[in-house]
Amino acid sequence: MRAIWKYIWKRVLYVIPTLVGLSILIFILSRVLPGDPALMAAGPNAPKWVVEQIRHQLRLDKPLWEQYYYWLVDLFHGDLGYSTYTKRSVTADVIEYLPASLQLIFMAALFEIGGALALGIIAGRYAYRLPDNIVRVIAYIGISVPSFVWGLLFQLVFASLIPLFPTHGMYSYGTVPPPRVTGFSLIDALIAGQFDTFVDILWHMVLPAFALSLGAMAQDARIIRAGMVENTEKEHVSLVRAYGIPERVIFSKYILKPSLVPAVTVMGMDIASLLGNAFMVELIFQWPGFSRYGINVMLNKDINGIVAVVLVIGILFAIANIIVDVVVAYLDPRIGRRSQ
Amino acid sequence: MSAMLALKEWLKTIEIKKKWYNFSRSPLSLIGLAISLSTIIMAVFAPWIAPYPQHAGFFTDFAHAKQPPSWQHWFGTDEFGRDVLSRTIFGFRYSLMMAAVVLSLVVPTGVILGLIAGYYRERWIGKVIMRIADIFIAVPPLVLALSVCSLLTPSAFHAMMAVSLMWWPWYTRLLYNITSSVKEEYFVYAAKVTGASSFHIMFKEIFPNAMGAVLTKVTLDVGWVILLGASLSFVGLGAQPPTPDLGTMVADGAKFLPDYWWISMFPALAISYVILGFNLLGDGIKDAFEG
Amino acid sequence: MNKKLVAAISVIVVIIIVIGVLAAVQSTQKPQPQKKRLLRIGFAWPTYIDPAVGSDYSSSTAFTNLYDPLIFPGDKGVPKPWVAESWEVSPDGMTWTLHIRKGIKFHSGDELKAEDVAFTIHRLLTIGKGYAYLFTPYIQNVTATDDYTVKVTLKRPYGPFIATLMRVYVLDKNVVMQHIKKPGPYGDYGDYATNWLLTHDAGSGPYQVKEVVLEDHVYMTRFKDYWGPMVPNAADEIQMLALAQPATEKTLLTNKQLEISSQWLPEETIEALAKESYLKVSKFPGGDEFYIMMHTRKPPLDDIHVRKAIAYAIDYKTIVNQIFPGNPIATGPVPSYLPGAAHNLPTYHRDLAKAKEELEKSKYWPDIKEHPEKYTIDYHWIAEVPAEEKVAILVAQDLQEIGLKVNVVKVPWLRVVEEMANITTSPHMVSVFVAAHYPEAGSLLESRYDSKSADTWEQNEWLLNKTLDHMIEDALSTVNTTERFKKYAQIELAIMKLCPSIFLFDHMIKVVHQDYVKLPADEGHYTGVMGYDFDGRAIEVLSTT
Repeated sequence: MRAIWKYIWKRVLYVIPTLVGLSILIFILSRVLPGDPALMAAGPNAPKWVVEQIRHQLRLDKPLWEQYYYWLVDLFHGDLGYSTYTKRSVTADVIEYLPASLQLIFMAALFEIGGALALGIIAGRYAYRLPDNIVRVIAYIGISVPSFVWGLLFQLVFASLIPLFPTHGMYSYGTVPPPRVTGFSLIDALIAGQFDTFVDILWHMVLPAFALSLGAMAQDARIIRAGMVENTEKEHVSLVRAYGIPERVIFSKYILKPSLVPAVTVMGMDIASLLGNAFMVELIFQWPGFSRYGINVMLNKDINGIVAVVLVIGILFAIANIIVDVVVAYLDPRIGRRSQ
Repeated sequence: MSAMLALKEWLKTIEIKKKWYNFSRSPLSLIGLAISLSTIIMAVFAPWIAPYPQHAGFFTDFAHAKQPPSWQHWFGTDEFGRDVLSRTIFGFRYSLMMAAVVLSLVVPTGVILGLIAGYYRERWIGKVIMRIADIFIAVPPLVLALSVCSLLTPSAFHAMMAVSLMWWPWYTRLLYNITSSVKEEYFVYAAKVTGASSFHIMFKEIFPNAMGAVLTKVTLDVGWVILLGASLSFVGLGAQPPTPDLGTMVADGAKFLPDYWWISMFPALAISYVILGFNLLGDGIKDAFEG
Repeated sequence: MNKKLVAAISVIVVIIIVIGVLAAVQSTQKPQPQKKRLLRIGFAWPTYIDPAVGSDYSSSTAFTNLYDPLIFPGDKGVPKPWVAESWEVSPDGMTWTLHIRKGIKFHSGDELKAEDVAFTIHRLLTIGKGYAYLFTPYIQNVTATDDYTVKVTLKRPYGPFIATLMRVYVLDKNVVMQHIKKPGPYGDYGDYATNWLLTHDAGSGPYQVKEVVLEDHVYMTRFKDYWGPMVPNAADEIQMLALAQPATEKTLLTNKQLEISSQWLPEETIEALAKESYLKVSKFPGGDEFYIMMHTRKPPLDDIHVRKAIAYAIDYKTIVNQIFPGNPIATGPVPSYLPGAAHNLPTYHRDLAKAKEELEKSKYWPDIKEHPEKYTIDYHWIAEVPAEEKVAILVAQDLQEIGLKVNVVKVPWLRVVEEMANITTSPHMVSVFVAAHYPEAGSLLESRYDSKSADTWEQNEWLLNKTLDHMIEDALSTVNTTERFKKYAQIELAIMKLCPSIFLFDHMIKVVHQDYVKLPADEGHYTGVMGYDFDGRAIEVLSTT
């Protein structure tokens, strides 16, 4: 256990300079590229002095290094700057919108893992037979069809043809949102004891989470399948089979478990695709989350908002990758040992 | 120049016939090849293939707007009365051009930086290159590309630049890993002993070993770059109308769902078609090299 | 390992079953919520409900319902006494005395007094955002001389002063002062409660804020002690919902989960919805006109003949029949129903022969004929209004016919604003909807054609015409209404002759609504003032949900 903590600590230390570099990169880009954020923030009819006031408020009248320095100082006080789009602190926006996105991504990840395991195991078990071929076709479609196309397809199908799932927002109309405690509406609904709200939110999450998960799910299913086929053919599997070990144990211990390692290894990429595609999916399904906020700050050239969106996603991505590596180390002890 | 020479030599060494045999054994790879070729042909010869080539430019015919698919208009017409099929065929041009421009910028840059970083792994230059590459892949590529595009004026050109900015580190990483592992092999030592320059070793001794991996990655990346470009356009931060760009067409047509589904759904399928083609092709090439 | 897994799975299964059962029990026991008249309206975010910050359509609608303006727009925008019950102007036109109505109650329970009015105007001018631009050039000072009298001193005489007061929404001084956060950009006033007022109100209007979730919704409930007149079946609750997709609105409307659609539904969606028997389409003037602004300082548009050629080449009929059906072709530089609009002005219509004739008269013609690409005209349209693309492409097609090359560019709204601030970055042509800030022709004449507005988004023409400036200034400082309107008419004629813009159509707002909702527009009543069309005081909801 201590080795794992040491490993995590090492990874965190490594990732911090990268994140600092990322913040510098996006900070400079947001200030240097053409366009006047203050003018945009002031709105179309504002007089010049209001523009100047906003410029001052955003510290755009100071040299770049000084802007960054104060931004860092503010960051240590938990302040990500003033959002010209929502007209309040970006920190408040992050707190407000991030949980909804995390909730959605978490559900998409569950779908992804469940679906990938199911499809991968079926295909691996019946390798080179009909189920395998069906899964292969599904997997290729899953990889090739962009998540926003899935989103629109679901909108088309479920908005009018089969009105089974809601296609918009987080709550049905008339549902009273639970009082905000954690910000995660599912958890808040449980805390407030509003179980029908809980179910309602889950119901609203099905389509966006599914649209979000399909690409990664297909990718993982293929990898699990390939691993299973490879492991089935390995010598030690025939060997343990000859020992008369039950087929069930052989399957779970010698075929499935080692096949999961490569699948988990690419989870980092999957998370990247979930975090990225959430931008389109939240837009399509009007999900009140952080990615939709991200699109809005981008379209309104809210520089503090943009910097925060990139940085927060960078941090999430780093955390996710560290978790993935720990899981891999747990599943495959060789890697854990190597890291020491 | 030396890259071209390397390519020639490499082609000799890889036993192209055997590779093709491996490749052609898999029907999926052949389908991938067929799809990819078909999109390239449609893109190149769009003005001759599209039934209404003028519909890709400034054209309105409101009397024939929003017609469902028919024999005259296989994919129907959009809200301007333009033939969706013709615009989709032209759309392949912009998708493939995006991929071509991005990859031709990114591959040489990424490869050279990766070779240098891998070769000078212990020196500061190698470390600096890899730390910078880390920064660019610290965020999902789409997120950073979206941010950069939003800070610039949205256009197809800026979208290409933004995607290129995000993409080179992947090649750097690939080459870094290959170089690091190959560096210790005896033929590199041999070259060093004979007094070959570092340049020679990097490009003539090490690089050929990476050609297969690079080629596979390039083919697979065509699909990814097209996907990324389409996503940018879908959000409104990529190519701008009236350019017949597939992502833009999907986004504009999405307003008319579900009544006029064909305006957005056919371009959406077209995007999936290109990506599918290059994915199958890329996997085929990969298997051919590994098998 | 396996046992642990089984145990974990069974725990999860049990939890799911328990939750499911509880949910089922909960939904059967759920008490029926009290029935109320609900008015749900679709909007585009952002909505800033602070009257010193917001100034767009959704924000203005929120102000109308949460606050009381000093002056209310009556039918066709004619000023109607409201919080200001009566007024006088000094003979030199420099001092206005407003008498405040007695007995208006704020949502806090306090009475609205002159002090609150003075405070509101000071706050607006200090913050400088929202509708402040209407007042900063004119107002010198505001003081409350007693509890019910406000004295406003102007910098110069200003005829339409009373009409502009439709944009002063009176705030409760005490409530605002209680919610000031220090430090802030406004010195002693800290942040002037801008943070608090983003999600709360301090008004006296017929509705008060129940809940605001940024980027999602504004819920307002009926204020029981409202002083003013209300229609009999006014809504108990108004919900402004941020909706971005026509498909969503369509679903909500057909499921009766939305009473009134947003204002920018594509024509295609409106057509499809109009077929439903329980839905109605309402149309009313938006107070704005749709222009194509031509940069009169950039070649080749600096030549009046080229501008006229363009004006004659454009197919106006297709625009109002196919792209924006139901909008009347514009008859001049301001919407025809606006008080002070001139009638029988000479207008332009599609006539290709005349267009070519004008083009050939131009000094650029020989060169354009040889090298049309040298004179490519940049046409920018605003990304947020997708229907503008159709106009852009139609215009490009029309101009191709007379031999002009056009480059159509989609530009986000805020970027357009930025471009138009500078004479060199302003595009050749840009299509924009511009609304009168107060219901009078003078508003548009000043914001569209005065040199003062040349660097704003409301003017791409860069006319910089001294004579015109003088005429506009003279008209605006005329306090007598009839005199002022005569002067407006002369200015409008002069503008038509200069042909600086293409006057496409007077914009009509179209919304789809449930048949149990009765809008004043259904009976032909409209104000033409942005934000007053969805006034909870005047909309009847004949069904409870």
